[in-house]
Amino acid sequence: MNWLNYHQQAIRLVLARMRSNKMSSLMICLVIGVAMCLPALFYVSVDSLSKLTNHMQDETEISLFLKLDTSSNAVAEIDALLAKNDAIKQHRLVTKEEAWQQLQAKSESNSAIHQLNKNPLPDAFFIQAKSAEPEALETLKNSLQDIPGVEQVLFNADWAKRLSILLGLGKKVIFFISTLLTIALLVIIGNTVRMQILTQKDEIEVSTLMGATNSFIRTPFLYAGVFYGLLGGLLAIIIMISVIMTFNHSVSQISSLYSSDFRLSIFNINLFLTIIGIAAFIGWLGSYLAVARSIASIAQLQNSR
Amino acid sequence: MIQFDQVTKRYPGSDDVLKNVSLKINAGELVFVTGHSGAGKSTLLKLIAAIERPTSGTVLIANQNISKLKASAIPFMRRRFGLIFQDHKLLYDRNCFENVILPLHINGVSGTEAAKRVRAALDKVGLLHKEKAMPITLSGGEQQRLAIARAVVSRPSILIADEPTGNLDANYAADIMAIFHAFHQVGVTVIIATHDPLDMNVMQSRILHLSHGGLKPTMTGEQKIENLLS
Repeated sequence: MNWLNYHQQAIRLVLARMRSNKMSSLMICLVIGVAMCLPALFYVSVDSLSKLTNHMQDETEISLFLKLDTSSNAVAEIDALLAKNDAIKQHRLVTKEEAWQQLQAKSESNSAIHQLNKNPLPDAFFIQAKSAEPEALETLKNSLQDIPGVEQVLFNADWAKRLSILLGLGKKVIFFISTLLTIALLVIIGNTVRMQILTQKDEIEVSTLMGATNSFIRTPFLYAGVFYGLLGGLLAIIIMISVIMTFNHSVSQISSLYSSDFRLSIFNINLFLTIIGIAAFIGWLGSYLAVARSIASIAQLQNSR
Repeated sequence: MIQFDQVTKRYPGSDDVLKNVSLKINAGELVFVTGHSGAGKSTLLKLIAAIERPTSGTVLIANQNISKLKASAIPFMRRRFGLIFQDHKLLYDRNCFENVILPLHINGVSGTEAAKRVRAALDKVGLLHKEKAMPITLSGGEQQRLAIARAVVSRPSILIADEPTGNLDANYAADIMAIFHAFHQVGVTVIIATHDPLDMNVMQSRILHLSHGGLKPTMTGEQKIENLLS
């Protein structure tokens, strides 16, 4: 009960202080909001893009062309081998006859094809791998290459590789931007709390003289930091949603040109909770550091007087 | 209750402010600390109130050695004291009521119990009708009385006042002294530093006279007058 009262008092005090300094409180929250929304926006774009590539990689096929002189027995053996391979989701055989028919049907008007009197096409397997990871695909490709009777394994992984590297780069960029902004936020919140401590130096000094414990003095400031963080996090989410909504219009126009329905996803409750949680934690930490320093300096002041 | 044994206090870069001071103050005593300014009165009070630690020697408060107290125990030691400063140290961003309630919050008292005690303390110093007033609107004497209300609201067993009447005219000073006497009457240990040793109130009480950091032999005000006359 006592404990509850103590926290209630601290919260009431902090809210009263924030009410009496509405403008500066709003500024602090805004700074936190802007700083938090930058990495979050980055994250949303990279996240959406990597979902898109996953989707595309699912459609990636490996084409396995057999040697022209492969017997139908050997084809059946390879078929069985592919069925046993764990890395393969499904595979489909297109015999040279089928391929030949398809080609002829597609190119009725092309007399050059019709002039060929021998089927130049090999038997082929079209394989879908289980994993979409470029590296896994590469190993699968190599193992397929080693099967006797296989002429060529075709798999255009280069673009997937490039995109995946780019996304990796994007994730690193997010990491560094977030780290830098976190440091900036710590400094901003710490500085704000320090300013507030300066204006309340008398109160802290008098409270210490009356036997206030450090945690009694610290608690209101910690709550202030957490509140700034919470409000800043909310602002970050609001800014982020409005930016994404603005962008999504253009993004869907672009992606419709590529006949895709790609859009940036707006509502991601986990992301929102993470933003608010991190913001509140940064607020708490910034305040804690500032208060610890101030308490130490006030104690020193008292001792040297 | 309070016992100093060979206490010396030196601040960095200065001479000894207190030199080999030994004294004993019993529970329920009314003691005046006198001496010229710079004699170490404030330092003595700070040592008593566990605001400072001695450079050497021991300070015992309620049988606890201040020097050996853990930092985390100091706040609880300080709660035994009601402190009154010459410059009041009131908080000017809140009204009288809120100033007085601060020590109760520190002690974990809140709600109606706290409000009741704040009003009782304000009543004792005659400021009950000013509870909503801001301290800055009060006169010097009223501010000092408010500071006393704040010092006594948590019912400390020891009241320590540093030059409580220093800036006040005679009428106000007499008011303040009467309040201290009233607390002494109900069993509170009262320790008052004053530079004005010939104050009428000082006469009948025990005096600790400091001179250049040393304690002169203890005597009552009457003896002191005799000393001065002879």
